[in-house]
Amino acid sequence: MAFKPQYGPGSTKIAENRRNYMNPAYKLQKVRDITDEDVVLLMGHRAPGAAYPTAHPPLAEAGEPKCPIRKLVTPLDGAKHGDRVRYIQFADSMQFAPCHPYLRSYLESYRYRGVDPGTLSGRQIVECRERDLEKIAKELVGTEIFDPARTGIRGATVHGHSLRLSEDGMMFDMLARCILDKGTVKYVKNQIGEPLDKAVNVGKPMDDKWLKAHTTIYNSNGGTGFREDKEYVEYVQTVHSLRTKYGAMPKE
Amino acid sequence: MTEAIFPQVRIVPNRLLFPETVERLLNAICEVGGIRRMVLNGPRLPATVTEGPGRGLPNPHAARKAIRVADKEMELQVQVGYIVLELWDREIIPKLREVCDQTFTGFGYNLQEGKFMKSQMTTSDYAKYGIMEDEQLLGMADPKSKGVPLILQGSR
Repeated sequence: MAFKPQYGPGSTKIAENRRNYMNPAYKLQKVRDITDEDVVLLMGHRAPGAAYPTAHPPLAEAGEPKCPIRKLVTPLDGAKHGDRVRYIQFADSMQFAPCHPYLRSYLESYRYRGVDPGTLSGRQIVECRERDLEKIAKELVGTEIFDPARTGIRGATVHGHSLRLSEDGMMFDMLARCILDKGTVKYVKNQIGEPLDKAVNVGKPMDDKWLKAHTTIYNSNGGTGFREDKEYVEYVQTVHSLRTKYGAMPKE
Repeated sequence: MTEAIFPQVRIVPNRLLFPETVERLLNAICEVGGIRRMVLNGPRLPATVTEGPGRGLPNPHAARKAIRVADKEMELQVQVGYIVLELWDREIIPKLREVCDQTFTGFGYNLQEGKFMKSQMTTSDYAKYGIMEDEQLLGMADPKSKGVPLILQGSR
């Protein structure tokens, strides 16, 4: 019988969202249109329309050594062209953001090739070859795992994920990269805080009902508490117990 | 040494406040009177970008704004998250609640009674600041900051 991954335990909507986002067979729901140019502007690694700077010559010209692994693994488009490795970083508010840093790393590892995700407490960075990163970033920003108000594209000075929201419902941002203008969120700075010539519109913030239906964060303060998910708690306790009792050889 | 006999309260709104709301709230509090000391607290809003490749660039922020309280102008350096007040006596606390009820209309708040300001220096404080000239400033702000506390003229 073929292996069928389960992705994660849990009987609540939160657990189901987690499983869906991690599962590459589940198509992430597209909720906003964002252009290729907007993605380039938000990340700030190159000017829109400029050629991709390279880190090494294209693989076709590089004269690669004979290697069975190189024959097995098809290089990414960016690797073929010798693109630089670049990043996009997200900060997810604890106030029912549609995704959270650990899950971002899981879902990117399951869904994309050639990425290097890294999780920190309130932010998550993903590195990839530049032209491939732009495609990935477009999906990450344009789908249901991004909310303009509760998720921030922040390369530096990310503080704000664990704070109360601002009066207008936006997550605190020391650098005010995005502003709420007539009900829509516009990025006026790129992810590292450099002013943009043209504001990038990322759409309207989602309402509380939508956020609570799409979030992956357990939060007993207004949402679903972790202890309400008996199956998840049981699973975590089992793992903890086995690790504690048997170390590297969990056999009953 | 700061006298610890004065009651202290902390107003914690459920949202980080806009300068306009802070201005309205503080003016209403000043009208109530009976406030000995007041601290506005929250995440800092630097005038320039402090880290990353954009370091040193100006950092315009809608929440970093001058507000006018009791005819004095003050530049907010934080997005106000909570307000600590030291009172002359406890009698004005119900009035403070009324002011909060009127100001925070779209979201809730907590008004907590307790001890929220430092009453004596710690060893680390001595190491950092040395001997403080004005002990009323203890626990209110960085004594080495170039800014000075604002004195709002009251009826007392």
